[in-house]
Amino acid sequence: MAAAAAGSGTPREEEGSSGEAAAPQPQAPTSAPGARLSRLPLARVKALVKADPDVTLAGQEAIFILARAAELFVETIAKDAYCCAQQGKRKTLQRRDLDNAIEAVDEFAFLEGTLD
Amino acid sequence: MAERPEDLNLPNAVITRIIKEALPDGVNISKEARSAISRAASVFVLYATSCANNFAMKGKRKTLNASDVLSAMEEMEFQRFVAPLKEALEAYRREQRGKKEASEQKKKDKDRKTDSEEQDKSREEDNDEEEERLEEEEPNEEEEVDN
Repeated sequence: MAAAAAGSGTPREEEGSSGEAAAPQPQAPTSAPGARLSRLPLARVKALVKADPDVTLAGQEAIFILARAAELFVETIAKDAYCCAQQGKRKTLQRRDLDNAIEAVDEFAFLEGTLD
Repeated sequence: MAERPEDLNLPNAVITRIIKEALPDGVNISKEARSAISRAASVFVLYATSCANNFAMKGKRKTLNASDVLSAMEEMEFQRFVAPLKEALEAYRREQRGKKEASEQKKKDKDRKTDSEEQDKSREEDNDEEEERLEEEEPNEEEEVDN
């Protein structure tokens, strides 16, 4: 990394590669920091999948989609819970908002009794 | 209490970030709520896995694939996830293809180099190897060495 502004200590220059970031990077450049395909670590998702005794194998794509679905789920339930908090004119989401959302939304029925 | 699958949690930092980005600015979330959402996400994955597995078994397959998970989403009444998941899948496949091609290209280049080098060296190496074995005094004396 080329040291642009001298922040701390002596500015170092990387030898070998010329000034700008011309070093070959194996990763494809992402346009925006939030544009990554999935934020949840696939390894943890894989561990959850493997916890199911009935599951033999899961393909990489399946793990990826599960991770992405879990993210969408978190967004969804957070937004739904927020609606309840808004009604109480609060700006902090509380556990009870979540419980209310779970009771109110049919799709969250599978969560009943699992969060205690 | 024995460890339950629900104890396999997803990283708190990531969960928090997702929640904060989903909510308007200035909205906070209590620790209890955040941890509950994190557990809910784990339960979600477990439930989705189980559903997806049913589809895989119906198809007499032992490996879960992407379409199994998509079918599970519909089964779980999360149809609204299907479209964005399909898009994400396409992007993921493109990325994987790109990575694969890049590494295959590297491998090809490497093989080309080593192939030509190996052909020249192999003859010399056969003679040298025997000499090296004697010099190195390998403990494995069962190897036949032609003198």
